[in-house]
Amino acid sequence: MRDIFFDLSVRSVRLNFLRSLLASIGIVIGVVAISSMGMLGTNMQLSVKDQLSANVNTVMLTSDVVKMSTGLGAAPSSNTIDTSTLNDIKGSAGQNDVVTIHHTSTQFSVGDQNGRGSIYGLDPSDVPKFLTIAEGSNIRGSDALVGATIASNFNLVPGSTIKIGQNCATISRPVVRVAGILAARGIAADGVNVDNGIVVDDTWYTDHFGELDQYDQVNVIVQDVDTINQTEAAINAKVNRNSDVVRISDASSRLSTITSTLGTITTFIMAIGGISLVVAAVSIFNVMMMSVKERVQEIGILLSIGTEKGEVRRMFLYEALILGLIGAVVGGIMSFVIGYSVVNAMIGTTQYFFQPASLIYIPYGMVIGVVVCVASGMYPAWAASNMDPIDALRSE
Amino acid sequence: MSDMPLIRLTEVTKTYHLESGDFTALDHVSLDIAENEFVAIMGPSGSGKSTMMNQLGILDVPTSGELYIAGENVAKMSSLERTHMRRDIIGYVFQKFYLIPLLSAYENVEYPLILKYKKRDTTGRAADYLRAVGIDPDMGAHRPNQLSGGQQQRVAIARALVNDPKILLCDEPTGNLDSKTGLQIMEILCDLHRKGKTVIIVTHDPHIGEYAQRTIRLADGRVVAS
Repeated sequence: MRDIFFDLSVRSVRLNFLRSLLASIGIVIGVVAISSMGMLGTNMQLSVKDQLSANVNTVMLTSDVVKMSTGLGAAPSSNTIDTSTLNDIKGSAGQNDVVTIHHTSTQFSVGDQNGRGSIYGLDPSDVPKFLTIAEGSNIRGSDALVGATIASNFNLVPGSTIKIGQNCATISRPVVRVAGILAARGIAADGVNVDNGIVVDDTWYTDHFGELDQYDQVNVIVQDVDTINQTEAAINAKVNRNSDVVRISDASSRLSTITSTLGTITTFIMAIGGISLVVAAVSIFNVMMMSVKERVQEIGILLSIGTEKGEVRRMFLYEALILGLIGAVVGGIMSFVIGYSVVNAMIGTTQYFFQPASLIYIPYGMVIGVVVCVASGMYPAWAASNMDPIDALRSE
Repeated sequence: MSDMPLIRLTEVTKTYHLESGDFTALDHVSLDIAENEFVAIMGPSGSGKSTMMNQLGILDVPTSGELYIAGENVAKMSSLERTHMRRDIIGYVFQKFYLIPLLSAYENVEYPLILKYKKRDTTGRAADYLRAVGIDPDMGAHRPNQLSGGQQQRVAIARALVNDPKILLCDEPTGNLDSKTGLQIMEILCDLHRKGKTVIIVTHDPHIGEYAQRTIRLADGRVVAS
């Protein structure tokens, strides 16, 4: 058998159904805002984490030494690692693979279409160590591998040709033949973001962009990920023994920076969603005060025939709880549907949506909605329980 | 305390502090009401009847003087103790019935039992009291607004009696009823008195006052006849 005070609250909510419904809609909106935003942020974190985790065994080395570049369409300056430093890196990297990377930004043309993207110069033997050729074969001579985005945007297939450099009527531009299409990488933790890039043989690169024996980036791919810290320490001890020559980073530090940033963004957008709950709280407070005002005589009757103040408080808190539960349940269901749609639209995949870390935001939002509702009902409940029964009975 | 009557007022004064100045509604009232008395409190408007009723119903405490009910000094009781005394020792019957509008007739009678025993009534006691005041159990499911005035007052009496209180306080119990229904209600109250209840009625109707064994007359907050 149910608590009679709960029954009284249910009946009061039913009696003022429309008013109660409107108040609950505020909670629904608040719960949906918090839950959906939380799920979106978490799905973004999980997506980024997944992409970056693929290269978690890579140590990235870059230099702060500024060198002028004279190549085709190259940036006016770049930070490079010289051969001496490279030898130090190789010496301290042990058995791990050391991959040298040339990199710049360039214009290019495919038929009549002009574009701009990254161009990477790699030793062809290093390509299979961290890149996946989805279609075609590896580079050789003046061949190139193109990233998934460029291939898609310019309809490139193995055998297509690309003119590299700025489109100029008086200068003939070098041409590369597409040997293969690379699999999409997304945000690459090893710094080689080839989706919108072209990968060429490093000899071809230095012939056209210069920077012979000067490397924009050196990646050390460790065989055992557990030794990554020792490898970093060994490189640091040798290369940076006198001064900071190279900057050393790895995927995990980038990962933690990015996830931390995304976490902050998630909290921020959830806080914005939370503003709607504040508005809902005011609405619930208003509805509860109206309920108290309308039921003054009833409160007087209850108090005069021996109802304890705590029981009167309980009755009004139940009412707030019911409004909160209705809002939270409807909000929870809508959060699931809206969250799924938002995640799908914003991230392009729902593969992380059903993970506990993502779905947990639905109960979080629901609990926050209920707590806000009950908190909003506290003062009205207190006011009701502390009425003078004589004055309350006199009111009409 | 063995010689203490059920209700004792000793020099009870109740003063209200109004913007226009202090107003003394009860002025040094002293009287005893013994168990199983049938008392009518009468007087013109403004004589202090309602204030007296509020004091006897422990809805209020005296500004000065002492009020003892069932041997307890009301002024020295905590708010919760006074609430429990209202629940257990006093039954109220109001002029406007004051049934709880969201509860059915049966639930209105069951309500004091729930307050006392903290659980729904499974003994059939609420239904028994409804029958005792002449309400058919089939009517128990009706909400107060679906009942006539006389039926509502009968339900209110059943509610007042269900916890077996020592005192039945009735504030103009026939004031909102036609004369025939009023007489029926008075018959019920007389019957309860015959069965041992202490019945106190506040009324300005001399015909109703005639049912009582004893009449306490108030004027300007003072007892002028007892």
